[in-house]
Amino acid sequence: MAVAAGAVGIEMLEALAIVLAVGVERRMRDAVIGALAAALAVVALGAAVGPALASGADLSALRLIVGALLLLFGLEWLRKGILRMAGLRRRSSSYDEYVEERALLAGDPGVGQTDWAARLVAFKGVFLEGLEVGVIVLALAGSGDRALPALLGAALALVVVVGIGLLVHAPLRRLPETQLKLGVGVALTAFGTFFAAEGLHVEWPLNDAALLYLGVGYAAFAWLAARLLSAQHRPRAEVAA
Amino acid sequence: MSAFLRSLRSLLLGETWTIPIGVGVSLLLAAVLHSVLPAALWHEGGGFVLAALVATTLTVALWSGR
Repeated sequence: MAVAAGAVGIEMLEALAIVLAVGVERRMRDAVIGALAAALAVVALGAAVGPALASGADLSALRLIVGALLLLFGLEWLRKGILRMAGLRRRSSSYDEYVEERALLAGDPGVGQTDWAARLVAFKGVFLEGLEVGVIVLALAGSGDRALPALLGAALALVVVVGIGLLVHAPLRRLPETQLKLGVGVALTAFGTFFAAEGLHVEWPLNDAALLYLGVGYAAFAWLAARLLSAQHRPRAEVAA
Repeated sequence: MSAFLRSLRSLLLGETWTIPIGVGVSLLLAAVLHSVLPAALWHEGGGFVLAALVATTLTVALWSGR
């Protein structure tokens, strides 16, 4: 549940940043229409594809596919998170995305006209982030008896993010997103390894508790890699200065 | 449209090819080991082999894919 909530929350924050930027810079009505259309498209896609995937495959094959998908997402989040912690990549910030998106959208939509550009930008942002959320939730929900916690986690994150959006955009600036994304990357990679191995008929020592020691192992690896990369990068930066 | 497809590709496969290729190779190697190693050995130690392959993929992605 926590992994689903974390992943959904972060992706939805990024989508929220885009929608807010479109709404503030152009018109909120067009931003919301674009966002709602994207959300409907993602839900329709999930409803069409999810059950078919779950019913058509045997459990081992499904776990292998789910594990591979989670590994793809988790490792990418981990890679970016480690590079950010090492100072080799700009820190993650939905607030910065919001500011950048506003700058790109500066202009007058025209009174009384449908602002298709604004709708399209909001649609694209929400659809792409929503698709990632959909794949992660389907992957976590579709492997065994974890459907309810995954869906509850996703719903909880959605409520929290919509709440933030309804209040003000200021909280976006205060979230430690880099650390949150790194943590979710560790969790997704641990889940991915766990499911992929189960799909290949591995029996983990201590069963589900394997998720804990895998998570601790990947977190330690991330910490060590960030320190090593940071140490390698520092002398070059000092020479350049 | 091409920008949308680029974003979609980046979202599903990531910014570099190292991770999707690494995940594919790791799972393939794990499947090969599963078929050649004695079943009991694989059941008990296969997960750690896969975790090591995943960590190797991440190491390569970090040091080559920047």
